Amino acid sequence: VLSVFQHEADVFEITDFTTASEWERFVSRVEEVLNDWKLTDSSVDRSAPQKGDFTTGSWEEESKEIHFADFKFLITHYLLKKESKNNEEQDKQAEDALPAAMQDLLCMQNDFPPRAHCLVRWYGLQEFVVITPATNSEAIISESKCNLLLSSVSISLSNSGCQVPVFVQIQQKWRRIYAGECQGPGVRTDFEIVHLRRVPSQYNHLSGLLDIFKSKIGCNMLPLPPVDIAIRFTYVLQDWQQYSWPQQPPDFDALLGGEVGGVEIGKLPFGACEESISELHLAATWPHVTEGIVVDNDVYSDLDPLQAPHWSVRVRMAENPQCLLGEYLTEFFRLCCRKESVEDVLGIGLTDEEGRETGDISSALSKLTEPAAAVPISRLSVSSMVHSARKRIHRRRHIHESPLSNEILNSILLVSLTKVEAFPPSERWSLFLQLKSAPPDSLTYRLALCVFLVNYSYGGLAGVAHLWQEFVLELRYRWENTCLVYGFMLIFVAYAAFLIPCNLNIHSLLVVTGQMLNCCIERRRARDEARKAQEATKQSKEAESELSAKETSQGKSWESWSDSEEEFYECLSEQGEDGPQTEAGQNGASRAEGRLHPYNNLTLLHSSEPLYVPVTQEPAPMTEDQLEEQSEVLAKLGTTAEGTHLRARMQSACLLSDMESFKAANPGCVLEDFVRWYSPRDYVMEEVVDEKGNKVTRGELSTRMKIAGNMWVEAWETARVTPARRQKRLFDDTKEAEKVLHYFAMQKPGDVACHLFSCVIHAALLKLNPAVRKSRFFGNKRNRICSQLAGMETAIAQARSLKAKFTFNNEDQSEATELKKFVSSLLEEPEVEVTGAGQGPAGRIIHRLFVNAQQAALLPLPDEDVGGDKKDFPPPAGREILLRTCVPRPAPYSRSLPQRLFCVLMREEFRLAGAFSSDTSFF
Amino acid sequence: MASATATYGQKESSDQNFDYMFKILIIGNSSVGKTSFLFRYADDSFTPAFVSTVGIDFKVKTIYRNDKRIKLQIWDTAGQERYRTITTAYYRGAMGFILMYDITNEDSFNAVQDWSTQIKTYSWDNAQVLLVGNKCDMEDERVVSADRGRQLSEHLGFEFFEASAKDNINVKQTFERLVDIICEKMSESLDAGDPAVTGAKQGPQLTEQPAPPHQDCAC
Repeated sequence: VLSVFQHEADVFEITDFTTASEWERFVSRVEEVLNDWKLTDSSVDRSAPQKGDFTTGSWEEESKEIHFADFKFLITHYLLKKESKNNEEQDKQAEDALPAAMQDLLCMQNDFPPRAHCLVRWYGLQEFVVITPATNSEAIISESKCNLLLSSVSISLSNSGCQVPVFVQIQQKWRRIYAGECQGPGVRTDFEIVHLRRVPSQYNHLSGLLDIFKSKIGCNMLPLPPVDIAIRFTYVLQDWQQYSWPQQPPDFDALLGGEVGGVEIGKLPFGACEESISELHLAATWPHVTEGIVVDNDVYSDLDPLQAPHWSVRVRMAENPQCLLGEYLTEFFRLCCRKESVEDVLGIGLTDEEGRETGDISSALSKLTEPAAAVPISRLSVSSMVHSARKRIHRRRHIHESPLSNEILNSILLVSLTKVEAFPPSERWSLFLQLKSAPPDSLTYRLALCVFLVNYSYGGLAGVAHLWQEFVLELRYRWENTCLVYGFMLIFVAYAAFLIPCNLNIHSLLVVTGQMLNCCIERRRARDEARKAQEATKQSKEAESELSAKETSQGKSWESWSDSEEEFYECLSEQGEDGPQTEAGQNGASRAEGRLHPYNNLTLLHSSEPLYVPVTQEPAPMTEDQLEEQSEVLAKLGTTAEGTHLRARMQSACLLSDMESFKAANPGCVLEDFVRWYSPRDYVMEEVVDEKGNKVTRGELSTRMKIAGNMWVEAWETARVTPARRQKRLFDDTKEAEKVLHYFAMQKPGDVACHLFSCVIHAALLKLNPAVRKSRFFGNKRNRICSQLAGMETAIAQARSLKAKFTFNNEDQSEATELKKFVSSLLEEPEVEVTGAGQGPAGRIIHRLFVNAQQAALLPLPDEDVGGDKKDFPPPAGREILLRTCVPRPAPYSRSLPQRLFCVLMREEFRLAGAFSSDTSFF
Repeated sequence: MASATATYGQKESSDQNFDYMFKILIIGNSSVGKTSFLFRYADDSFTPAFVSTVGIDFKVKTIYRNDKRIKLQIWDTAGQERYRTITTAYYRGAMGFILMYDITNEDSFNAVQDWSTQIKTYSWDNAQVLLVGNKCDMEDERVVSADRGRQLSEHLGFEFFEASAKDNINVKQTFERLVDIICEKMSESLDAGDPAVTGAKQGPQLTEQPAPPHQDCAC
């Protein structure tokens, strides 16, 4: 049986060549599609939609292309998807039940849905099919074509037994004119639309429309069953009057005008510059009015919106309102893409001179810091070089207009460089770690904000270039004047560890290098202090030398090395150091220097002198990338014995330095002494019985220390007797600091912006609502982040604007919360019902808004005081009137069937969408 | 961590012949036998006296684990107090540690706690640690019993071995166990989609709190 069945099905699929004409082919094609979509199954049960289903339910859409000759149509099926009900109800369906679409015509649950297809709005349908010309430019204009199309649909429907209404779109698309048909067992509904430019005066009110409806029904049964009426008037408010968005954009001109508060600098701009809510639409609805109760004709109307039982509101947001943060972000992102260097921006002249000098800066520096420098250092001083460069810049600036005025510049530098109190730890750590930014109290963070502002408000690229240049000069100044200004630019307070934590992924390069600079400054300060203390003791003897030192140097502390020929490491503290003079007096052999403290009551092996721990140099700090570099170099030496030896060599600087210090502190010492302090387990003690039978403890170096020519012995032999402070520095802070400053100086404004980008985003997020902050939205693309942030800002601006309009001067707590809820739902939902309509708290506010707008609108014409006609509301922008009834048609003995007319009256549009059902068996 | 491997892999253009590279550090007091231990494992040789390590040194060994070639870059450190600051710098980026003491030396055992703190302070959160009591061949001079070692390791949450570089006891086992633990941890993290591991060039988080205590492992 099955095979036979299948065979039949196959036959059905075969193209029927008897359908010869294009028209016949079109009809069968429509049928085919309806079959494909299974719309011919009449028993499909759909319960009446619940209130709000049209908005909350999801609409499904399915399209196919069909041809009439060579004319392309698109046939689309629309269906409201609801949770499927249990199938048992299906059986209850009576044989002659009306098609669902006809039942929908009378359903009152979903009048005026906020968002729906126009056919849904007009006819209350849950399922329908539309045939439209496939290309937008094509249209079915001529009446004969329309009729042809409609009759095709009619034939297809009756052939297929489809009960879903099918519409064809005629006339130009924008006019939205549809003609359609729905067929059921013994019944049919015709859908017709009238569309006019102007509302004919006789139909400009309810009574006129009722007349049309009744005459169209053509029912001669008396008394006529009452017509059910639903009315909605829509009022548009565009003029917000005094409730306009209260925030003024920050007045940046004030700073230029001389009122330097510096308040804006270091803060982020935020909010919309213009009203972000463009319109408020108030819909006053009378959902269920029986004919005769309401009077609305050409001379009088009962329809006062204030009395309407239902109010609902929708708002229209301004498209792309100008928002400050968003604009700033966009500009900042643009800056990130710029390739110009500081010199490119600020002009040439600087480039060739400074470029040459910075070019050989490192070689010059190594000369400076080399203990045996042969160059007269005072002449080659970097300090003087920089100062001359600075002077040049300033000189040049006086000629050209500099992008930033001194006032602004100073206030910016003040903001970015002064220390602020620490943020609470939670705020500090949580967000910036995720963002790879810096904490809000850090220099980088504040600098980022300044660059952000300068980029937008003070001259863009040129301004940023100028700011950066000044910033670097400022850093240099601070480096040069360690003692005076130490301590205010610490980026991280705690970097006690030897390694500067600086994973580049987490912290911007600026932070890292900045920290290195800090290290340098600190080391240098320590040196300077030590030297000062020393000088103080010498002062009485060498007063005149200090005088000369003061004359030669510009930076106060610069003298600490520019007046000496050699650059040495200076011990951190003098207090632990025993006076060398007294020791020297006791020990005739040589002078001891750089002693820290005696070590465990030990004495030297070859003398009775106590063993002293020497003052030693601190190992050099390294940034993480420097460390990585170094370990790579070490690894490259390979795993051979030579490699190991070379590695040890490379790392022996510290050992050698310590040995030299030790030798200086312990005159007459031997390697064993050193080992006893430095690596105690390499000095092996043994109790031996000597020749006389006494127990004696004898010590000797461990086997490994005795290996001939080993690193330690070798180093010990080469170590000179030099206290730490006269040794070559392990960490050349001068060189490192110059490297850092050079690196900074070479950054292009665009690079700077890139480095600071994460901080800016961080700041923007902090500025946004904490709720927004939690959302995970980050991609990797900077511009996407920017636009997302701008979008959030806009949303917040809209929310604020609405809030400002709806929550003013109310004391009632419950009212306030209700209004709050109302505002938030306005932002989220397409249309919001106003509880209590015109009498509720929100309704009263809306009413006042309209009254104020009306007053203002009438204000320019005071003489035109038309006494009684002072209305609270403007004429409605749109009126929708829905008429429904159920009458026998076409003959009095026919079945009573649903009839419906939906009327839209607007200033420039008049539309009647009618659905009239008639009995096809008894007429 | 696989990505960290990739980073290293690119740099080491000479030897691309591995799937993963693990960086392992051997730490512990001076003359507990770190260098000997490493030489025994990497070269299978033993010398009674190696020159005391200056700073940091390393050896490489490639092993097979679960059909993967794993290149071990094992860094040997100087144990002297003075070198602490230098060697701790290398803790970052190490995936495993062998914390070593000398069973014939009480001081080196007492210092284990300190070393463990150092690891927690300076290393990655995911770094795995093995406690090793070396020189177990010198039973005559033993001052730290195996039980004490085991107890301490349980307290610290590390796995524990007694080993001898001289007699080649437990040397290979120590390293292989460490590699296994690292592999387990790695696949765990990858499964959990832990961004800390899957993220490119993952580094330590700069938090003020020390790293959370390591997962206890059954010994």
